[in-house]
Amino acid sequence: MEPTGENNSLEVIVCVKNELGLHARPAGKVAQLAQSFQADIALCLADQRADAKSILDILALAAPQGTEICIKASGTDACEALEQISQLFHDKFEGDT
Amino acid sequence: MARTILRGIPVSAGISIGKAYFVNRQKERRIPRETIPHHLVTVETQRLRNAVEEVRQNFMDARARVPEELKEHGAIIDSHLMICQDPKLVDSAAKNIADRAITAEWALERSIDTIGKAFSAIDDPYIRDRMQDVRVVGDKIMQALIGVPKPADLPSGRRVLMAHDLTPADAIELELSRIMSFATAEGGKTSHTGILARSLQIPAIVGVEDLEDSIRDGDLVIIDALKGLIFIDPSEEELAHYSDRKYQFEDYQKAIVKQCHLPAETVDGYRLDVCANIELAEELVQVKDNGGQGVGLYRTEYAFFNKKKMPDEEMLYEEYTTLAEQLAPGKVILRTLDVGADKLLDEQAMLEEANPALGLRGIRFCLRYQNIFRMQLRAMLRASVHGNVSIMFPMISGLKELRQARFILNSVKSELDAEGLAYNPNIPVGIMIELPSAVMIADTLAREVDFFSIGTNDLIQYSLGIDRTNKHVSYLYQPLHPAIVRSIKYVIDAAHKEGIEASVCGEVASDPYCVPILMGMRVDGISIAPQAIPGIKRIIRQIDMEECIELLGDVLTHATVSRINTKVRKRIFKRFPEELSFFASLIEQDDITEP
Repeated sequence: MEPTGENNSLEVIVCVKNELGLHARPAGKVAQLAQSFQADIALCLADQRADAKSILDILALAAPQGTEICIKASGTDACEALEQISQLFHDKFEGDT
Repeated sequence: MARTILRGIPVSAGISIGKAYFVNRQKERRIPRETIPHHLVTVETQRLRNAVEEVRQNFMDARARVPEELKEHGAIIDSHLMICQDPKLVDSAAKNIADRAITAEWALERSIDTIGKAFSAIDDPYIRDRMQDVRVVGDKIMQALIGVPKPADLPSGRRVLMAHDLTPADAIELELSRIMSFATAEGGKTSHTGILARSLQIPAIVGVEDLEDSIRDGDLVIIDALKGLIFIDPSEEELAHYSDRKYQFEDYQKAIVKQCHLPAETVDGYRLDVCANIELAEELVQVKDNGGQGVGLYRTEYAFFNKKKMPDEEMLYEEYTTLAEQLAPGKVILRTLDVGADKLLDEQAMLEEANPALGLRGIRFCLRYQNIFRMQLRAMLRASVHGNVSIMFPMISGLKELRQARFILNSVKSELDAEGLAYNPNIPVGIMIELPSAVMIADTLAREVDFFSIGTNDLIQYSLGIDRTNKHVSYLYQPLHPAIVRSIKYVIDAAHKEGIEASVCGEVASDPYCVPILMGMRVDGISIAPQAIPGIKRIIRQIDMEECIELLGDVLTHATVSRINTKVRKRIFKRFPEELSFFASLIEQDDITEP
C-alpha cells in the first residue's frame, strides 16, 4: 500500500477471482463493508471510477473474473478499509461464485 | 371458446386452474412532475427519505422471515436492500430535489433513468439485467411515495397469483401454500420469479403481454406453463381438457423425477451412459438432481468470453478441479477451447474471416495459438488427479491435426514431469466427430484415440451445407436425413471395431424420435442438456433393443427424409404419447445450446 500523494490516498491492486465476476452479491458485500468506514473509497478500473459504497456504481464496472482493480482510499480509516476490502477480494467474497 | 388467450414465457413447468388474484398492478400512474417552492425542498427530501426508510424496513422484515424453502433467495433481498440504501439512487434523488426544486417522485424517476442509461451501456448481459432489480426497488419507493395501498391478504382459498413483477421479498409476504401458480407482466427467462417458482415447484409464466389490462381479480384462468398460455374465462371444453392434462402432467413429473436416478437401461438390459452438456460448474447441481451420470461435454469457452483478461492456468486448474472433484467417480469430459463462427475471442475478431464457420475454429484455433492451448492442457492434466477426467479435441478434420494436438499434449506432459507436477498419465483422449471428413476416416481416427463423441449439430450443418440459424435454409436441418443416419452409424461401427466407445452429444441425443434410432446403432452414451435427462432416461427404460434395432433397420431402408420422418414419428408417437406431449415442453423451457 503506497500513499500516492494525491489527497494522501492509499491504493492497492486486487484481482476479481470469482467465476461470475463482480456481480450482484459480491458487489453488495463490497458496498456493505465500504459503508462501515469513514474513508472515501473508490474502485478504479481503467478510466472508470466507482464509489465503493454504492452497489450500483460497483455493478456498473461490469468487472469479470480476472479483472485487476485498483482500490483507492483516503481518510482516517483508509488503511484499515483497504486491508479489509482487499481481503474480501482475496477470499472470493467469502466463497461466492 | 375462451374469451382471451394471453401469451408469455413459461419459466416453471406445470398447469393450474383457479381464480386470479393481483398483488400489484402497474396501472398508468401519474408521477407528479411538478416544481416546488424552495422552502419545501427540506420537506420533500424528508418525504423521500421516509419512503426509502419504509421500504428498507419492509426488506429487513422480509429478510428476517425468509422460510427454509426460499433460503437461497435471501441474498436477492440483501441486494435489494443494498440498492434501496444506495447513495447513487437515494442521494442523487435528494440532490435532484435540492438542485431543481422538484417533487420527490420526479426526482426519483430521474435518478432511476440516469442509472438505467449507465446500465444499458454494459456489455455483460447478466449485469445489464440487474437494472431490473433497480427498477423493482425504485418502484417500491415510488409506491411508498405515492401511497399505493400494500397488497391485502389473499382472499380465502388458493389463488393463481398475478403481479406486475414479483420479488422474493413480495413472495415472503404471501402465504405461499395458498398460491397455485404465478403469472407476471414483467420478467424474462433469467428473472427471479422463474427461480422462485422453480424452487417452490409451482407453474409460472412471466413476461405476459396485456396481463394487467386483461385480467380482473376473481377471473377464472387456466395457466398452461408448458406452452406459456393463459386462458381467461375458459370454456367447459377447455376446462375439461386442462383438468385431465394437469393430472397427466403431474403423474408424468412424479414418475420422471422418481425414476431419474435409476440407470438408463432398456427392458432387455442394454445400458448406456446418460451425461450432461454444461458450461458452468454451477450447473452440476442440476446434473445431479436430474440423474446425470457425469458430464459428457464441458464447454470450456465460458472462462474465455466476456473477460477483459485471458484466464490463467491457475484459474482454469481450479475450475476443472472443482468439476472433477464434485463429479467423482462420475466422469467429466473437458473439451478444449472451441471458438470460432459465432464464438470469438479477441484474437479471432481481428482475423475478419469471410466464412468464420469454415475458418480458424476449434482445434485449428488451438494449433495456431499454442500458448493458449498449452496453458489449457496443463490445467486439464493437473486437474486429472482429482477425478475421472478425459480430454476431447473439437473439429478434428484429419489425422494430421489429431497427431499435432497429441504431440502438444505429450510435450505438456513432459513439461509437467520436469516440474514434478502430478497428472493422470493415462488420461483418456477423445475427439469430436463433427466434420464429414472425420466421418469418412473414422476407422483410421479410431485407432489413435480412446473415444469418439459425435457432435450432431455441426455434423448436420457441415454435411448438408446449411446454417440452421439462416431462416432461408433452416428447414433443411434434418437429423434423420439418410446421410446423417448413415454417417452416425458408420462412426459408431468404426469405433466399436477398434474397441473404443462412441457417444452422441448433439440435440439429436435429446430428441425422443431419434434416441431409439441411436440405440439401435448401439451408441455407448449420450450427452444432453441436464433438464432433458429424466425424460430421455424414461424413454430408454421403457424400450427394448430389439425394437430399436428393428426401427433402425426400417429407417435405413428408406431413401427420403420425409418418408423416414413420417414412419418414425408415427411409430414413436404411438409408443410414447406421454413423453411427446410433455417432454418437449419441459426441455424447451431452457435453450438447448449447441454442443
